[in-house]
Amino acid sequence: MIFFKYDRRIFQNFDWTLLALVMSICAIGVINIYSTGFSLGDNQSPLYLKQLQWMAMGLVFMLFAFLIDYRIINRFAYFIYAVSIASLIYVALFGHIANGAQRWISFGFILFQPSELMKVTIIIALARYFDDHKSNESYLLRELFIPFILVMIPCVLILKQPDLGTALIIVIVSASIVLFIGMNWKSILIAAAGILAILPVAWLFLKDYQKDRLLTFISPESDPLGTGYHIIQSMIAIGSGGFLGKGFLKGSQTQLKYLPEQQTDFVFSVFAEEWGFAGGLVLVVMFLFLLIWGLRIALHSKDLLGTILAFGITSLIAWQMVINMGMVLGMMPVVGIPLPFISYGGSAMFTLLGAIGLLMNVSVRRFILQR
Amino acid sequence: MEKQYKLRNGPGPAEFRQKLKIVMMLVCLALLVLMVRLWHLQVIKGDELKQRSENNAVRFRKIQPLRGLVMDRNGRVIAENRPAFDVLYMPTKGVDPESLIQKIKDIYKTRSIVYSSDQPFPKTVKSYLPVRLEKNVSMEKVALVETNAVDLPGVYVDVTPIRLYLDGEFIAPIIGYTGEVSREELAESQEYSSGDITGKSGIEKVFDSYIRGRRGNELIEVNARGKVIKNLGRIDPVAGSNVILTIDLALQKAAWEAFAGLSGAAVAMDPRDGSILAMVSLPSFDPNLFNSGIAHNEWVKLQKNPLNPLSNKAISGQYPPGSTYKLIMAAAALEEGVVKPETRIHCKGSFALGNRVYHCWNKHGHGSVNLHMALVQSCDVYFYTVGKMLGVDTIAKYARRFGLGDLTGIELAHEKKGIVPTRDWKLARMKEPWQLGETISISIGQGFNLITPLQLAQAYGALANGGTLWKPHLVKRIESFDGTIEKEYIHEKTGELALSRRTIDAINRGLCGVVNEPGGTGARARIPNVDVCGKTGTSQVVGLSQDARIRHLRKLSAIHKDHALFACYAPMKSPEIVVVVIAENAGGGGAVAAPIARKILNAYFEGKHNGKAPQVAVNPLPAGHAGNGFTHE
Repeated sequence: MIFFKYDRRIFQNFDWTLLALVMSICAIGVINIYSTGFSLGDNQSPLYLKQLQWMAMGLVFMLFAFLIDYRIINRFAYFIYAVSIASLIYVALFGHIANGAQRWISFGFILFQPSELMKVTIIIALARYFDDHKSNESYLLRELFIPFILVMIPCVLILKQPDLGTALIIVIVSASIVLFIGMNWKSILIAAAGILAILPVAWLFLKDYQKDRLLTFISPESDPLGTGYHIIQSMIAIGSGGFLGKGFLKGSQTQLKYLPEQQTDFVFSVFAEEWGFAGGLVLVVMFLFLLIWGLRIALHSKDLLGTILAFGITSLIAWQMVINMGMVLGMMPVVGIPLPFISYGGSAMFTLLGAIGLLMNVSVRRFILQR
Repeated sequence: MEKQYKLRNGPGPAEFRQKLKIVMMLVCLALLVLMVRLWHLQVIKGDELKQRSENNAVRFRKIQPLRGLVMDRNGRVIAENRPAFDVLYMPTKGVDPESLIQKIKDIYKTRSIVYSSDQPFPKTVKSYLPVRLEKNVSMEKVALVETNAVDLPGVYVDVTPIRLYLDGEFIAPIIGYTGEVSREELAESQEYSSGDITGKSGIEKVFDSYIRGRRGNELIEVNARGKVIKNLGRIDPVAGSNVILTIDLALQKAAWEAFAGLSGAAVAMDPRDGSILAMVSLPSFDPNLFNSGIAHNEWVKLQKNPLNPLSNKAISGQYPPGSTYKLIMAAAALEEGVVKPETRIHCKGSFALGNRVYHCWNKHGHGSVNLHMALVQSCDVYFYTVGKMLGVDTIAKYARRFGLGDLTGIELAHEKKGIVPTRDWKLARMKEPWQLGETISISIGQGFNLITPLQLAQAYGALANGGTLWKPHLVKRIESFDGTIEKEYIHEKTGELALSRRTIDAINRGLCGVVNEPGGTGARARIPNVDVCGKTGTSQVVGLSQDARIRHLRKLSAIHKDHALFACYAPMKSPEIVVVVIAENAGGGGAVAAPIARKILNAYFEGKHNGKAPQVAVNPLPAGHAGNGFTHE
């Protein structure tokens, strides 16, 4: 089977804008990670180098995801889904444990987090499903049973790790896709009622620290310790940056290690402290361009499949970005959701770049597709 | 470029166009909200937050919870808490830790005491978390640090609870010990945080999640000298739950003392439900040594001791059962019908098989004996004959029914299974076929047979109670610190002997004869007014032939002397206690182990006669916590 058919137009119409936007955001991320690791001490391997290595691998993955026609990828959607689920099961059984969570597959020198991959895989699987089951009417609840199962299997596996943030993102992105495709109003109401009914049960399955975090958000004053501490320190760091920031490598909150998880979930507070409102504005505007560009690709896609893929990938980036920033700015509860392209984390970088490749794939092939 | 696709069916592109435009607007709106918030924090509140960041004086302190108490069945406290003092350093601006530590050393030097830290000062420090300089310091150091507070910015003394075992040594194999959480444990569970105290072995470890309690936190604001000026918030620690054991501390102590320094193990169990009344293993160690971090040389000394003080021999010591195994042989013989109780076998002092001769312990022979006499006098030839008739696999079938060769399932870690040899087992293990001669050795509990003292207690207990194997257990119940019962242990049946009443009665009478009839090998376990049933055992440590054994007996060094065993239960009519004693390298079962068992039985029946100890501390709070001289805050 030929996976890749050469077509001049693929390169003539290459989406340079998308590549440039993503690369710029990644560059900001690496520079920022360099700053967080600046004072980590001598025997720490520099995190920014590791991030660069993952970026390089991610670019290869991106090329791969770009070159193979997305309609061919679509044929393997359920296979890709099955492989992702299998890797999650592998993690549940033999995964590498760190900080009380079992999330990683160890390849000796490298740790990979399959739940990150799952964030993209679920989009591919749902796109395949809705492309196979096109409908004139908006979807009824019973027609959504299979997509529901497709989403719940990885969610349960990821919640068990435990990783509330990732499971949450998968649910939110999947729900966005379903709402976008069109769901019967009555069905939406019933589903919403169902979720409300399940919430108290779900509460019982949360770990103590996860409950604490949610409670802290509902009333931050009740717990200035623990998670409250994260938010307070994060807000102090951001606020102290002022309009122009303290300058590269000069963020005192960062360099004095007041900030917990400053390379990962709270990485934006480091950036905002050192680069100020001006820097924050630039970053947010770049994200805005990226998201609008992604939605434009969805808009101009030649087929439903491309539209769903582009919409799903864009909403994955959008939701993660909004929830992470909201959390760091003290507007949302602390759940472990990283800032796309900026937070330290190899698996996330790798899979997000792959997703961008898919987005380019859709973007470029609108010139090739025959009706 | 704006060419639209048409779907074969499904919502038209126009609908998606409209939706996508709404989504774009929503994205713009969301990012706008984020920008407004960023503006609010950085520009409007910027100066205020900058101020706060410059004198960021917020510090975070953990408050360790009190571990739950461990008590015996009568409410006597086995494990409690005492206050320990740590010297800590809260990172303070403008202070160089190196010179600070030097200053402490100088202050100590004036009284000629030495600064002793268990860890080097960390290279990188989180500004909001204190660093421990010294742990478990003397009152003198506490006084010095407090009085010199002005010269030591950021240094303070903290009180933390630490485990205290009043009767440490003789309860150590059961209770275990505590210690600071290890790096591996930290990686495994989100529930631990560095500096936490966790159970490291025994009950302390197995029930750690109950005993540990919940850590508290404190957020404080400190001034430039590192002194607390404001408490910003506090979550109180929650004391752990209390564990009430089935152990009777008085009996435990009696069992320990009965050994008079010999090494070995003893188990006393209630045969009616599997409650462990006492379990000792000798020699032992002082678990208090571990609680504040054991010194390296002490640790090496314990580990290298050939008598193995760190293991609980009652569950992980594996011994040949010797003649105590004749219980299983007798049951198998009667049930399989190879002999009747009255069948007589002639013992001339030896037994020939092929060209090998197996001796009876009594080289003059017991004459013509039936089952009863064979048990009473522990005649080896009788059981050689019976064993040959039964065959190894049939013997194994009955041994397994008595629970041998399998974990009993007691709540402690490191329990061993022992060995019940069969033909298949030997073929798999040694790649050699079974020899008939080995069946002969098995018949008197020598050879490949291995049992743990606890297994033996369970086996004799099952005979005593008429045929039921109860799972041995140590924990009676777990109560939260305010007295609500969290877990109540119900005894659990793990098997049935499935022996006929006739068989059980015959063996029962035989075992009673061992202790109470003239010529019985267990006469030294006799106690007034109570009918004790039991069986002696002497297990060979090295496989010397019987003749050579007698010849070399005097030359044997202590380490090669036989293990003395005694397994018994009482009173005969309705047994309420089963006792198993193993004295390592101590000699014959009747001479050494039986008297130890007698002392344990004596202590039990005397204690019962004097009435149970008063039920103290039924509701351990406040009595329990106040009583141990340590209350937190």
